Amino acid sequence: MAALGRCLLKTKHLQGLGGVQVTRAAGGWNKDWKPGPYPVTPEERAAAARKYGLRLEDYEPYPDDGAGYGDYPKLPIVSAESRDPQRNWDFPEHRRDFGEPIHPDFDMYGLDRVNISGKFRFSTQDQLLSFLAVMATFLGAYYYLDDQKMHRPVLPKQYPQEGVVHYSFEPAE
Amino acid sequence: MGQVYTQFLGEPAVQPDFTKGPTFDPLYGFPEGRKERQMLATPEEMESAQLPLKSRDYCAHLAIQSRACRQRVWPLVYKCGHEKHAYLNCQYEDYVMRMKEYERERRLLERAKRKAAKAAQEEEEE
Repeated sequence: MAALGRCLLKTKHLQGLGGVQVTRAAGGWNKDWKPGPYPVTPEERAAAARKYGLRLEDYEPYPDDGAGYGDYPKLPIVSAESRDPQRNWDFPEHRRDFGEPIHPDFDMYGLDRVNISGKFRFSTQDQLLSFLAVMATFLGAYYYLDDQKMHRPVLPKQYPQEGVVHYSFEPAE
Repeated sequence: MGQVYTQFLGEPAVQPDFTKGPTFDPLYGFPEGRKERQMLATPEEMESAQLPLKSRDYCAHLAIQSRACRQRVWPLVYKCGHEKHAYLNCQYEDYVMRMKEYERERRLLERAKRKAAKAAQEEEEE
């Protein structure tokens, strides 16, 4: 969503008409919410840290290599689902308090989406191997047992055909 | 259960192929011969009665009679008990014949296996 907003801000509408600018509410985006430029001096860093509600020692912007977010801080990725469900959050549906800085991809780490920071009983590799083992068992059983069918102890039904003689079990007279 | 046990664990080597007919000579082992099965309904009769292909077996004549009776007396279908039972008894006999064929096939396979084992044993002794 943040990337979409940035992309929309960079497009140029109506290039022939000088001075006319078209603005749209792209997902409720507001130009005042755009991050500032990458902070270079220590004063700019302190100001940016205070703006985002972080301590100076916690503040770390994304590297300014053309793909960064300006002075937006690099926050640890914590999914909403792995946060304490019993704590009295200000926004329980996001498990977030008021004023807490938001990760740029926060819409991906919500309660109903990706849980990347959860500590599970079985690691991803364990889960994958268990799945593959079970599926291999099923497929192996199918593959080796498909030809061996249960049946009642009867031979196929005899239908009358041209040139084929069928016999009963009574003696010929 | 017993059939499954015998088929896979008990004697898997001498089980007949249930998808194919008898592999041995049908008249072998019958000193008095065997009566041939008679097809009493002609193809024209079966076609005229629009009998399903599955039912065009050696009991087809009784199938046609049973259906004709039903068509005559419907909805008082209870009146067709004799024809219905004649047809079902014919089907039963046919199924019993299938079971006998399977058993005959199985016993002949066992006998063939015994003969092969005896021949191999005699070769060893030589």
